[in-house]
Amino acid sequence: MAAEVVMTVEMIKASQMGMKALGAGIAVGLTGIGAGVAEMAIGSAAVGATAENKDMFGLALLFTVIPETIVIFGLVVALLLLFV
Amino acid sequence: MLAPKQMSRLLIAASRDRMAPVVAELYRHHLFHIEEFVEAGAEGYEGFKIGTPLSGASEASVDLVKIRAIENATSIHGDDIDSAKACTRTELQSRIERELPVLEKEVEDLTVRRSKLDTRVKENEQKIAEITPFLTLPVDLDLYRGYTGFTVFAGYVAREVTLSVPCEMSYSPGKDKNFIVIVVPVGQRSEVERALQEAAFQSVPVPEETGSPKARIDYYTAEISSMTTEIAEIHKKLEDVRQKHSGFLVACEEFLKAEVEQTEAPLRFATTKQTFVAEGWIPSDSVDAVTDSLIKATGGKIYVTVLPIDFEHDRVPVEYNNPSFAKPTQVLMDVYSRPKYTELDPTLMVSIVFPLFFGLILGDVGYGLILLAMALGLRRLFKGEEARQLLTVLRNASISTIIFGLLFSEFLGFAIPGLKPIMPSRHLMVEHGAHGPMIPDLMVLAIWIGVLHITIGRILGIINHSRQDHGEHRTKAMMANFGWIAVMWGLLIAIWSIAALPLMPNLTGLPPVVSIVNIGVVIGAVLAVVGVLLIARDSVLEVVEIPTIISHVLSYTRIVAVGFSSVAIAMVVNFISIGMFIQPQLENFSIFSIFIIIAGLVVFLLGHALNTVLGILGGGLHSIRLHYVEFFTKFYKGGGVKYVPFGMKRRFTED
Repeated sequence: MAAEVVMTVEMIKASQMGMKALGAGIAVGLTGIGAGVAEMAIGSAAVGATAENKDMFGLALLFTVIPETIVIFGLVVALLLLFV
Repeated sequence: MLAPKQMSRLLIAASRDRMAPVVAELYRHHLFHIEEFVEAGAEGYEGFKIGTPLSGASEASVDLVKIRAIENATSIHGDDIDSAKACTRTELQSRIERELPVLEKEVEDLTVRRSKLDTRVKENEQKIAEITPFLTLPVDLDLYRGYTGFTVFAGYVAREVTLSVPCEMSYSPGKDKNFIVIVVPVGQRSEVERALQEAAFQSVPVPEETGSPKARIDYYTAEISSMTTEIAEIHKKLEDVRQKHSGFLVACEEFLKAEVEQTEAPLRFATTKQTFVAEGWIPSDSVDAVTDSLIKATGGKIYVTVLPIDFEHDRVPVEYNNPSFAKPTQVLMDVYSRPKYTELDPTLMVSIVFPLFFGLILGDVGYGLILLAMALGLRRLFKGEEARQLLTVLRNASISTIIFGLLFSEFLGFAIPGLKPIMPSRHLMVEHGAHGPMIPDLMVLAIWIGVLHITIGRILGIINHSRQDHGEHRTKAMMANFGWIAVMWGLLIAIWSIAALPLMPNLTGLPPVVSIVNIGVVIGAVLAVVGVLLIARDSVLEVVEIPTIISHVLSYTRIVAVGFSSVAIAMVVNFISIGMFIQPQLENFSIFSIFIIIAGLVVFLLGHALNTVLGILGGGLHSIRLHYVEFFTKFYKGGGVKYVPFGMKRRFTED
């Protein structure tokens, strides 16, 4: 016979906290990958453009960080999960 | 303020023999933006031709090329040198005639010798590389060739070879390649070739040398080292030239550049056999002064007049007109695009809001002080105008960071003892009893900032359309911008009426209409629908963009999120270095602890250095991005022509 699993309130709370942490991790991790994939093409094009014309540097840097919004949203979701 | 400097279109006409004094006078004023004359199809300019350079143009350009070559060889940059007006015009002219040829010869000789030595060093290195494989055999290099009855194979193989024919073979296995030398009678040559081919043989040419490989390599190495000392000497001599003549050279360059620009100016004018006409732009407040001085310089034999501006076709050059406080921010505007002449110039707004955003994101007294020290320290290194402007922007941002650091009560991630945060707290690891991070408050604050920033952007959009557009389109575009504001605020009112949020008005108590729908929701919905209709009236396709209202406003939460990430990194660094390395060792102190404490300090320094760099990137890039992407897209197009007045800011010479 399997041992009966007793869950105390503390254990449930701890497990909920763990789930939240997992969720927060997934939110940041996956959005990070998403932002990375999006920045990949922009970044390489930006480096090419800057190599041809140095004045492009500012604009190129800017284009490169545009997909960063994705991971920012992930970070916001993670913060909300953990602290709200 | 909020608008570029007012420009007037000036037309100057005079006889050709007055060209030189007119050009000199215009150059001295450094105000006249020349509208270049294009021969083909210029209206009202039939029969005019592009002018020819004034006398002395080619001599000056030849000298300028020489000077630049010397500066290149001795790596002198005008930007790195403090401005000092050392010599007068005539002095400089005579010095150019006297000293320049000597200096040119000296530098040229040195550079030619240096490049010759460089090539010889490379040749010797190549020879060493060729001999190196043969080092494994104690055989003189001349013994590898000159046989009629034998063939010598030397090269790399993938594995050891066994030959059935009589031969002399030396096999020396190496790390990635194995070197082999085989001597066989000429008759067996083809057989050996076949066997070697199977072992993936790569032939190595036998160097044309005599004597033992080791002696040859020693010989070449000695040659290389003597040549490198010689190169170092040349470098020292060039450095001496640099020390001695850099002031003279930059002054010469400036002087000759001014000469060349002046003598070549007629290439941009319209001329006939007897007369010339120059058109261009000049700040309206300087028209009188320039006109008067031109008349004086030519003894009144000149015609100067202000032409009316045709906003449809003329590309009016744009010069910023900002208070000195906002001037450095112009560099951030130029990265995006210079405003059009008819457009609002948001530089002043950016110069106030950018440091605020930066401070809100980084918000730490410690990092603020580091950045302030950096901004002030680097000013000594960078003397170029643009770099200075950027450093001033960084200085303003770091001051704002310090102020917000006090408001957040943060110092390198620690709470400042005895200082309660006035802003909602961002401290992640808190002792019992203290307040943890107040995420919802901070988020709502960021969203408020976003809503207000975007609303201001849209209002500026209304102003821009009212200035730039005409007729029916003007009203429609203005109403559409109002529509965007209406949709955003309508949604906000509806949200406030449904749910109570911190730091936001609570409208849930308004009289209900149906179940949770109260009067606030209805008002909000009506506003939003009216807004959508107004947007659609201008352009139906724009309706697709409506979700960007939400995404753009939420994008401002990065102010909190990026700020939090830097707080988190700082706290982790503090925890690892102090909590894990230093504190336990201080409690049980032994000799060995010293090393661990030093390691802890290294972690502390490296971690905070990394976080400072991330702080500049995070704080700077995200703040400017919020301006470029979220703010400017609401009203700003840019694409104005830069105002490049004819003349130069003299740093080393006098007029």
